[in-house]
Amino acid sequence: MVRSRVATLGVAAILLAACGGNGAETAQKKTELTLYNDKGAWSKYFEEMGALSKQSIGLSMKPTGYTDSAQYQAFIKASFRTDVKPDLFTWQTGGMLQEIVKQKQVADTTAVWQEAIKAGDLSQDLAPYYTIDGKQYCVPMNVAYWGMFYNKKIFDKHGLKPPATWEDLVKVAETLKRNDVKAFYHTSVLFSFVWFEQIMAGMDPDLYDRLSTGKAKYTDPGVVAVMEKWKELIDAGYFINPGDKTDPGDVLKTGKAAMVSFGTWFNTSMTQRDMKAGADYGFFVIPNVNASLPKTSMIFESGPLCSLAKAPDPDASTKYLKWWTTAEAQKKWSGIRGDVSANPKVTIEDEALGQVTKDAGSGEYRLVNRYFEATPPPILTAALDGFSKFVTEPGTYMEVLETIQKEADEYWSTHR
Amino acid sequence: MTRAPILGRFRHGYVAPAALLVAGLLYAPFVWTAYLSLTRYDGLAPPEWAGLANFAKLFDDPVLLTSAGNTLIWVAGTMVLPVGLGLLVAVLSYDLKGGAWYRVPFMLPYALSGAGLAMVWSPVLSHGGVANLLLGVDTAFLQEAPHNTIAMLLVWTWQQLGVNTLLFVVGLQSIPKAPIEAARIDGASGWRLFRYVIWPLMRPLTAVVVGLALVASLKTFDIVWVLTQGGPGRNSETLAVTMYKETFVASDYGYGSTVAVALTVVAGLASYLYLKRQVR
Repeated sequence: MVRSRVATLGVAAILLAACGGNGAETAQKKTELTLYNDKGAWSKYFEEMGALSKQSIGLSMKPTGYTDSAQYQAFIKASFRTDVKPDLFTWQTGGMLQEIVKQKQVADTTAVWQEAIKAGDLSQDLAPYYTIDGKQYCVPMNVAYWGMFYNKKIFDKHGLKPPATWEDLVKVAETLKRNDVKAFYHTSVLFSFVWFEQIMAGMDPDLYDRLSTGKAKYTDPGVVAVMEKWKELIDAGYFINPGDKTDPGDVLKTGKAAMVSFGTWFNTSMTQRDMKAGADYGFFVIPNVNASLPKTSMIFESGPLCSLAKAPDPDASTKYLKWWTTAEAQKKWSGIRGDVSANPKVTIEDEALGQVTKDAGSGEYRLVNRYFEATPPPILTAALDGFSKFVTEPGTYMEVLETIQKEADEYWSTHR
Repeated sequence: MTRAPILGRFRHGYVAPAALLVAGLLYAPFVWTAYLSLTRYDGLAPPEWAGLANFAKLFDDPVLLTSAGNTLIWVAGTMVLPVGLGLLVAVLSYDLKGGAWYRVPFMLPYALSGAGLAMVWSPVLSHGGVANLLLGVDTAFLQEAPHNTIAMLLVWTWQQLGVNTLLFVVGLQSIPKAPIEAARIDGASGWRLFRYVIWPLMRPLTAVVVGLALVASLKTFDIVWVLTQGGPGRNSETLAVTMYKETFVASDYGYGSTVAVALTVVAGLASYLYLKRQVR
């Protein structure tokens, strides 16, 4: 009998101990940070950065990469309410950053920004993307300019040159079509917005800005004209089938499509496929549809690297973010991926991308915030589904615009 | 005799760990989801009470209508294909010499997970994929509705056929031989033997197979998510995919929970009505 009671008490004690956790929790001093990210394919590059940071500042970093962004975002949001908190995490600027800053979850990095701008490691022009109510949050993990990557061998074979005007671009597409080559890549999954933002930025960038802030409607004539222009290109047979699931890197390499529009980070895909800039592929800035605009519109994006206000070791996380902006870190980061850098001191090896970065820095282009960041999340979700429908059934464009506008009306009625 | 009082006094203590696990991992999340279905919640700010607004939206949401329609195709298709064909393969191969070897190929795909299955079939069904090349057609199987749902249903059949066949074979093996022999002596054979003797004797097992398939088809998610993500647009969504998209992609945890509650009610009700009819 006594044995039974002892056993029962023992079970209870074990359970209590298991439920109670460690009561002696103290602020941790970390030497290794975990970087959660939704860029699973970049793990190799993050690991190299971790090795470098260990040498430079005595803090190593280990990446935990997700490939499904919805799952990733749900995890990060859940971490706000639990003790499993990332030291560092990637996120998105725009509405998504505003959402989590509003909940006071993100560490203020104003001091890091001030110091980096003073040292010439970050440009003042970039600050607005990271500023909410006068304070900065996160630092740029990457920046990217959007343009057209093209298969140089196909261009050479058909005697084509990167176009300087929209009409030239259409002529290039027409020549390719006559030679049984699909000119452009597009997709019904995730990046279904690319051609919408590109055509709109090149037709009426002011309308694009008004649409992003709820001052214009998706059913306005200007937006309808964008969809009609897009439909015109699809109907002309310039695009590959949007249901083709071939990786866009392979699409370009194999010549399934001669041109793929993406951010400069797509250069990483080229590097991974042993393609050589200038020999195998090239990059050009997409000309405006509306030639009378004073500047060529260029889509720009910047993805943030953040830490939490309640990070396990806030000092270590801040130290890491500070290091990330330095020329040493950025030279490595842009070098291994073959991409551009947020640090103006870093020289870009790729000639075409280096020129674009230089021109963008000198104000030659009108930089337009990427649709993914510029559009509030609920409207974006509806729009991605809508454009996905449109690329497979181009005749439905009015129905698509009306559906997106319905979501926009609901959102802006409570977010003015 | 002396142990009984001790066991009696502490009997709740012994089941407590299991009860706590069930309560914590099954009942609590369900109650929490039911509560969230009555709120507006974006996963960040605290949930705000919304009453029945989310449930009202259910009946006014064209996407939900599409999802419900697709889910219905999945349910009906599952009964005809993996279950119906499973029964056919079981009956045809049961009496054959070496019949087990005929069934082995049907069993192999069952080793794949739903997501793995979809990954394998993605390059086959996508535009320009293996199916296009083999059939010499230019069809995008995963794009137009309802073809995309039907294409995914065929993939699902490819995987599920084997396990249903196996269950039906077990059913065939477990039925008593005497009534069958008696029926044969009375001159019954072929379809009549199956329809009037074998089929009624297999009824308990059929109830289980159909019941499991019914619930599985109502909560179809992984294969659709990996192959089409519910698109293009939202034309191949099932109720489970809509639940996931609303919750985790659109961050509308309140409405996503409402879809979850509705799906639970539909699955529970369908199972209850079906099983009630079967065990009468």
